[in-house]
Amino acid sequence: MLKLALKGVLAHKVRLAMTAVAIVLGVAFVSGTYVFTDSITRSFEQLFRDANAGVDLVVQGVSDFGTTVPRIDEGILANVKAVPGVEVAAPSVSGSAQIVAPAPCEKGPGADPAKPCPIGGNGPPTLGFSYVPEGVGLTTFNLTEGDWPAAADDVLVNAHTAEAGHLAVGDVVDVITPAGVEPFHISGIASFGEDDSLMGATLAVFGFDTAQRIFDSEGQISSISVVLDPLLDPTVVQAQISSFLPDGVEVITGADQTENNLDEFASGIGFINTILLVIAGVAVFVGAFLIQNTFRIIVAQRTRELAMLRAIGATARQTTTMVILEALFVGVVASAIGIGVGVLIAFGLKSAFGAFGFGLPATALVIAPRTIIVGFVVGIVVTLGSTLVPARKAAQVPPIAALRDVDTPPRSLGRRIAVGVGVTGLGLLMLLVGLFVTFDNALSVVGLGALVTFVGVSLVAPLIARGFARWVGGPMARTGVAGRLAQENAMRRPRRTASTASALMIGVALVSVIAVFSASAKAGVADVFREQFSTDFQVRLTGFSDPTAAGLPPALGAALRTLPEVSVVVTDRFGDFRFAGDTEAGFLLAVDGPYDQVVHIDMVAGSPADLGPGDALVGRADSERLGIRVGDTVTIQFASLVTADLRVVGIYEDTAIGLPLVIDYTTYEQHIAFRLDRFVYVKTAAGVDLEQARVAITAVTDAYPSAAVTDTEELIGDLESQIDGLLNLLVVLLAFAIIIALLGIVNTLALSISERKREIGLLRAVGMQRRQVRRMVRWEAVLIALFGGVLGLAVGLALGIALVVAVGEGLRLTIPGGQLFTYLIAAGLGGVLAAAIPARRGAKLDILDAIAYE
Amino acid sequence: MNADTAAARVENATKVYGSGDTTVTALDDVTISFERGKFTAIMGPSGSGKSTLLHCVAGLDDLTGGSVFIGSVRLGDLKDKELTLLRREKVGFIFQAFNLIPTLDAAENITLPVNIAGRDADPAWFDTVVDTVGLRDRLTHRPSELSGGQQQRVAAARALVSRPEIVFADEPSGNLDSKSSAELLGFMRRAVDEFGQTIVMVTHDAHAAAFADRVVFLADGRQSGELADPTADQILEYLKSLGG
Repeated sequence: MLKLALKGVLAHKVRLAMTAVAIVLGVAFVSGTYVFTDSITRSFEQLFRDANAGVDLVVQGVSDFGTTVPRIDEGILANVKAVPGVEVAAPSVSGSAQIVAPAPCEKGPGADPAKPCPIGGNGPPTLGFSYVPEGVGLTTFNLTEGDWPAAADDVLVNAHTAEAGHLAVGDVVDVITPAGVEPFHISGIASFGEDDSLMGATLAVFGFDTAQRIFDSEGQISSISVVLDPLLDPTVVQAQISSFLPDGVEVITGADQTENNLDEFASGIGFINTILLVIAGVAVFVGAFLIQNTFRIIVAQRTRELAMLRAIGATARQTTTMVILEALFVGVVASAIGIGVGVLIAFGLKSAFGAFGFGLPATALVIAPRTIIVGFVVGIVVTLGSTLVPARKAAQVPPIAALRDVDTPPRSLGRRIAVGVGVTGLGLLMLLVGLFVTFDNALSVVGLGALVTFVGVSLVAPLIARGFARWVGGPMARTGVAGRLAQENAMRRPRRTASTASALMIGVALVSVIAVFSASAKAGVADVFREQFSTDFQVRLTGFSDPTAAGLPPALGAALRTLPEVSVVVTDRFGDFRFAGDTEAGFLLAVDGPYDQVVHIDMVAGSPADLGPGDALVGRADSERLGIRVGDTVTIQFASLVTADLRVVGIYEDTAIGLPLVIDYTTYEQHIAFRLDRFVYVKTAAGVDLEQARVAITAVTDAYPSAAVTDTEELIGDLESQIDGLLNLLVVLLAFAIIIALLGIVNTLALSISERKREIGLLRAVGMQRRQVRRMVRWEAVLIALFGGVLGLAVGLALGIALVVAVGEGLRLTIPGGQLFTYLIAAGLGGVLAAAIPARRGAKLDILDAIAYE
Repeated sequence: MNADTAAARVENATKVYGSGDTTVTALDDVTISFERGKFTAIMGPSGSGKSTLLHCVAGLDDLTGGSVFIGSVRLGDLKDKELTLLRREKVGFIFQAFNLIPTLDAAENITLPVNIAGRDADPAWFDTVVDTVGLRDRLTHRPSELSGGQQQRVAAARALVSRPEIVFADEPSGNLDSKSSAELLGFMRRAVDEFGQTIVMVTHDAHAAAFADRVVFLADGRQSGELADPTADQILEYLKSLGG
């Protein structure tokens, strides 16, 4: 049987190769993801270890959640230095600093060529650090050119930044910091770690005093790196230091610091890993349909061969085993190739990230044993799993089939209806539960529900396939005999048509969900901004950034306030916090200025105008949950675990702001070290022309190349294109699944043509032209693809609507009809494309060969 | 005829296809024994039930009524698995077409039934069979590289290599020219004479049937007569008399 299975594989090389491609792609995606994320993790592990090498203890602010590390009082430094056994205590202060390359410089299309361009940002962080002589050797900076920053206007940049901005030692560059935009003189260039790639981050190092000033941290520092007398027990000194540290300040070992860094990094990379694996999962799932279909057809075509084996004494189990062995063989070979291709994909991902500005360290790719094991397990399990049904079919071939040239009549679809409807119902139920009931892992239940729904719909699909081919194929049939035959062919084997189409359905459904979700998100954003914003202009960072890590220097808002053309200027900021007693952290909004004059706030009670230092506005949902009313005190906790009691002066409808807590800047700056603004809202003074105001505002913002001035409609447009960009990326990744599905159509057509060899030969013999044969195949492909497209749209719409309704807040259900129609047309065209090779093969069939008996 | 000497027999065999208005009675209370070591041909016009009879005796199809015995085993009592094992051990087949696995060469096709049973072919017997059918120099060829006659001789060799109690042949020469046909049937004849093989063959060709020891005629699902050691002319004569 092993021999027979092997020979069977070799005999069906081409069609099994198509199957193998599906497995290869799926496995490649899975293993590529692992290789990629393992490699990044490995290189960052090295980086973090180097960064903390030689540091025995680190004194820093406690940061239990969020991204901003709180500052500590500079006075602690002297106390630490005084501890016996402390040989070096190097203070450090860090913040955001973006270098601006002078014009002319490389920039995106559409940008003003005369303007200077900020380096980095738009994703990767722009980091600034301080330099103290005793700290050399305790950081990962390796001076490669020039000198460390000594003068107040010196800056040292990392090699990546220098390269990106064509900067050299001695150049003068503007640097955007919380203190504003100032010129600095480049004193030196250093590499960071081995090869100076930190996911595209730009790094700038300033003298210690300068750093304190520009990061708005006079009298404060971010951390102290401590080196001890090697003869002393570090834990003793650690305890000694710990004893005099105030609340919110901790001392940890360098090794623990490395672990903390790694943990933080792992959770960041884990997110990318999950997204990539989910997409890989989709590819594998679609591949499973293709595999199942191929083996089903192979078994059908070999009915007589299998029957003959049964007649001469092969047991049902032996024929099943033979098919499974074939599948196993294909699975093993394809998985091995897939893992190899996965390494290439990891290369590709790495350069793609580089192209998007997230440069990655050029370390060797890490191929962990886990990657190989998971690759093989996925490949083999999926192949065998998808072959179970066809293999059972192989067992059911009666020996008598060897002697009669008849098709075994397909079993009735009755049981299938029941099972299909049941499975679909179960899937939808899981989806709804996952979406509308709050519990842990709700998201995985949603994913699983979608999966089950797909399987269910694919089970029901054969029932609809015949009717679909009749109705949609109707106009096709009127175009001539080729169309008519194509329609018949699609109807003849509804199961095959349906299961081929099902693979495409999954891809189309997922992109439809994305389309519905993004359209609804865009509509929601537009609604919220149009309703809420009563400003004339907003200033914010261009591009996409994390509002707790990047923003505009407060100096910009201050400069705008001095303009005579404007009446009201308000700035706001994000911060990490949680309500005392909660475990989940969230974002708060801090505002500076009369916020209620620039944003409509639906108040439930109290007034936003009363907001002052020590006050808070609370969202309605949380106020009800916590039982808080105006006049009460709310206790909140910051990342340093320090708590603050705030007086509640108002309660607002959550949709008005979208964040659960609003405080003022004084309270914010007492507890949170972050110093950059998210938005500057500007209202034009009475009697000033809008264009004139814009000119005045732009004159100020021109000094800040990373700032963009928009009115509300422009802002909505910008955000919409950001949403589009993000979701298009997902669609591109899902293209993988769609390519696999199209391969499935190619495969099915090729197989059914070789099955219908005689029939096509007969058609040719009685006068059908090659062109007509091609057309017939093409029409059939279009029918299958459209069927998949329509099913996909239907399922995608249902899932998308459910998702939008479940998320609710900030979304307005919108069905992007035009876009969905485009997808359908694209599916049809995909069918034409998929038909190209099978159609040519069908047309090339030699008539005599095709009709020859045996 | 004594039941003990029969390699296979059917008793009151009835086979009805379809239901309601569309019923077709393919076999109508047929009782026949096939003697051990004899070459029996079954003849009859299209639709006479000759193929159905063969399928049922060979255990490929079930009867609607009556019983089939191979040796002393009653097929109706067997489960699918037991039936499969019985076919494997005691029955050989030669079909009209599609006899061979296209992916295996001639030698592998011949030893297939033995290999399926998880054994190796007896080399001496394999050589004897291969030499008898004259395929020595064709053993490494794939079916697609063999002529129709050679393919059928491979099928015949395969049917014999497991030394079955009985070989069933369904129009084995149906697709062959007269020369290849004569070669194949001559070989089957020798298998009966030299190895004492029992063969039951369905055919509509009088020249093929003339190789048999006994010809059984079927018409409308019933046995209509038989001839012993007939010549082709006697058979044609008999068929004519049926037609008249």
